[in-house]
Amino acid sequence: MFSDLSAQKEGSSLLSRPASEDQGPAVFERTSLAYSPCSERYSVGERNFGRQYAHIYAARLMQMRPLLSQRAKQKWGSDVLIRKLCDMQTGEQCCIVGTLFKRMELQPSILKEISEEHNLLPQPARAKNISETDELILEDELQRIKLEGKIDKDKCVTGSVIAIYGAERNDGKFTVEDFCTADLPLQRARPALSADRFLLLASGLGLGSSRADSMLGLQLLVDMVTGQLGDLGEQSGAATISRVLLAGNLLSQSTQDKDASTKAKYLTKKTQAGSVEAIRLLDELLLQLVASVPVDVMPGQYDPTNYTLPQQPLHRCMFPLSSVYPTLQLASNPYQADIDGVRFLGTSGQNVCDIQRYSSMDSHVEILEETLRLRHLAPTAPDTLGCYPFYLKDPFILEECPHVYFSGNAPTFESKLIKGPDGQEVLLVTIPEFSSTQTACLINLRTLQCEPVSFSAFSADEDEESEMNISH
Amino acid sequence: MDELYLDNIDEFVNDHNKIVTYKWLSLTLGVHVNTAKQMLFHYLDHKRKESSAQLHATYLVSGKCVDKGLTSHKVSIVREEQLEDVKAKMSLIVSVHIYSVQKALLKDSGPLYSVDYDAVKDNLKSCSRYSAIRCASAVPMSSLELQQRGKRIELLHQNLKTKSAVNGNGSLTSKPSAKPPKGIMGMFANKSTPKNQDSGKETKSEQKEDSPAVDAPKSKPAAKVNPMMNFFGNQTAKKPEKTMKEEEAAPSSSTAEQQRQSPQPEEKPDAAAAESHKNTKKDSRSKNKRIEDSDSEEEKMEKKKRRRIKLPEPDSSDEDVIPDSPPQMETREASPSPKKEVEAVKQSYQMNSEGKIRKRRRVLKSRTFVDEEGCIVTEKGYESESYSETEDDFQPTKQAPRDPVKAKAPSSSKEDEKKSQKKSSANANKGTKQASIMGFFQKK
Repeated sequence: MFSDLSAQKEGSSLLSRPASEDQGPAVFERTSLAYSPCSERYSVGERNFGRQYAHIYAARLMQMRPLLSQRAKQKWGSDVLIRKLCDMQTGEQCCIVGTLFKRMELQPSILKEISEEHNLLPQPARAKNISETDELILEDELQRIKLEGKIDKDKCVTGSVIAIYGAERNDGKFTVEDFCTADLPLQRARPALSADRFLLLASGLGLGSSRADSMLGLQLLVDMVTGQLGDLGEQSGAATISRVLLAGNLLSQSTQDKDASTKAKYLTKKTQAGSVEAIRLLDELLLQLVASVPVDVMPGQYDPTNYTLPQQPLHRCMFPLSSVYPTLQLASNPYQADIDGVRFLGTSGQNVCDIQRYSSMDSHVEILEETLRLRHLAPTAPDTLGCYPFYLKDPFILEECPHVYFSGNAPTFESKLIKGPDGQEVLLVTIPEFSSTQTACLINLRTLQCEPVSFSAFSADEDEESEMNISH
Repeated sequence: MDELYLDNIDEFVNDHNKIVTYKWLSLTLGVHVNTAKQMLFHYLDHKRKESSAQLHATYLVSGKCVDKGLTSHKVSIVREEQLEDVKAKMSLIVSVHIYSVQKALLKDSGPLYSVDYDAVKDNLKSCSRYSAIRCASAVPMSSLELQQRGKRIELLHQNLKTKSAVNGNGSLTSKPSAKPPKGIMGMFANKSTPKNQDSGKETKSEQKEDSPAVDAPKSKPAAKVNPMMNFFGNQTAKKPEKTMKEEEAAPSSSTAEQQRQSPQPEEKPDAAAAESHKNTKKDSRSKNKRIEDSDSEEEKMEKKKRRRIKLPEPDSSDEDVIPDSPPQMETREASPSPKKEVEAVKQSYQMNSEGKIRKRRRVLKSRTFVDEEGCIVTEKGYESESYSETEDDFQPTKQAPRDPVKAKAPSSSKEDEKKSQKKSSANANKGTKQASIMGFFQKK
């Protein structure tokens, strides 16, 4: 895609002597495009942490109930009986809208740790917290009921609002015959673009880690985007990359030095937090980028901003060099913006990683699709994912269907084009972690095609191999 | 075209033994990146024809790669001998050019980054001057624009704050919630008062007296005892009469908290009498400041987590030594942490002496009301309240009997051994906490 486009324009080879001076070097103009950020819903103004989280679930159910009732009628006929749990009769076939709760034996719980203090053994961190004994429960405003039947409990996660169809048995459990989700919201039509324009997505730069060898790959990425690298064809192609989006974890996890808080102060007096150096490095890197292309910077799990979703933009005072450029956009996580009429929505990956931990789904792109079908960005917040205690409104409910839905810090690059029931077309993209894969991805805004861009150099232990990659 | 640059590059490569990358060359000579790439090629070509000393080059290759049906764009740096292999693997080659030229054979590509990094860092402000892409919108803002932008952002934030009813902030008035909790926590907070008196006394004596009355007779008011000695341990005050107790107390004074508390009970009888008005006043004044301190101390018992909690530890371990070797105490005096404290209190003392008659203090009060949604909200907050001196004078006497002297002694020995266990077990911490609470309720 990108390669073909770049190769078409065959200029003079750079494997030749410099041309005579009167012929000035080729300079390409960066294509620009309309951009309007729409992340207002993810900004938290005055923060108040004194509230309980119950309000989010209440607000979520209230907002989702009409949508799900409508879907239920579409699916099971308009005469389907939609009941609340308190009105339900035993044995009566009906449909119930409620929030799922999965009781999980293995879910880490701070209360459990405290109560079992006397024989406290730190539980090993698990990749998956699901087990055979998990129970699925549906809650509405007043009551809850255990679920059985045709519903895959391993795939479901706490916090999803769904509609179930079936009947309550004599033992008080509900036998599910079928269920439905809110599915994709309505989508605005995508404007037809005349020319190929690209957006580069990268995440997990991991600055400040001990592995400095990945820095060359990052520098190559910057050089390619800023038009230093490659032949004229490549540079003209790079000029059509009209925006760069960095989706979180710009800093490495190792910059979050937990030692500092447990060590005696006199031992750490002269040491500097690892994140200070990493941010300086990031500032220099961003400066190179923003001098040549508009950049959106989203924070991620390990970046110096608030931890709970929605993460607020990084503060500009951390970037004294690059923040003087109007091309630097410090964005929130989740991120939402219209780029040339194409609606982008995505996160730095915390929501997807959390669902991966508490469900049987492994593929990030599969989880992305699931959240889109549930019409909720982060169903597991606030249960297992940190989240601001919202009160009257759950901003993570999708109200408009994006054209590109992405998540960052995935183990590998994946993409998938899915179609909704009302003709929606959504490109799902998981952006790989750059520090481990040396891969970013390019999205063609005209065709919504997506392709990975990988960078590699050579290292000492790979002498025989001709194709070398620092990643493993 | 003059070919002076060939000599330039030759100098860099051969004489300086540098790795010359196209980017470094472009920034150093101030030429367009593409020109720099061609220069390197020309130089290499030229040298190869001369067949002089061997030179090594790395190339940049980019193109389309098809791997398991997935096409990707691949950009790699390769050594010269691998160039053809890599090219063969790509289904479409977009660009090939020289990346760097150097004398030595590069084992890995790490140095290529560091070479460029220094050059880029020196030219950060103009790093894209020689690149092949111009971006019209990427013009640095002037300081004026920056200011305006800052204002805009501020405004936006204010809008958000007022708008925040969306988040349901409306019902709760936002007050800083840095108030000490009631109940058991409240008791801990109370503790700060006796402590303050202690430190307050010390400062006062430091100011007024120069005589290092280490062996002050018992009849002398406690305030006359050498301030530093006073600060560091109970033994100074006790020395004249109760040597027995001192021996018991000295090793037990392991944690900093006890250190600060234990001198106080012994001195209390004299101190209460001898203390001047100013002193007590100062206490109440410094109370606010010290409440935080007591909070953190209590937290320390729960978990060794915060850095500032850790702070007392070196002190306390030092002080264990004191009974054995008195001369060391003199050196301790110079140690910065107590001095700082002393100074801080001194300041507040001076502030205090200016206005004597009526004071204001902050008091924790709880208010209960029904909010818009019909919920009963209890809100605790500090309110300032005026009071007169006489009120305050009661405080030391009131608190003196309440003090957990006796209860402290057994618990302290327990604490001592716990300390040797490095306080790792959560149980142990729990134990100490319990003991100190019980101490509160015991009658003296």
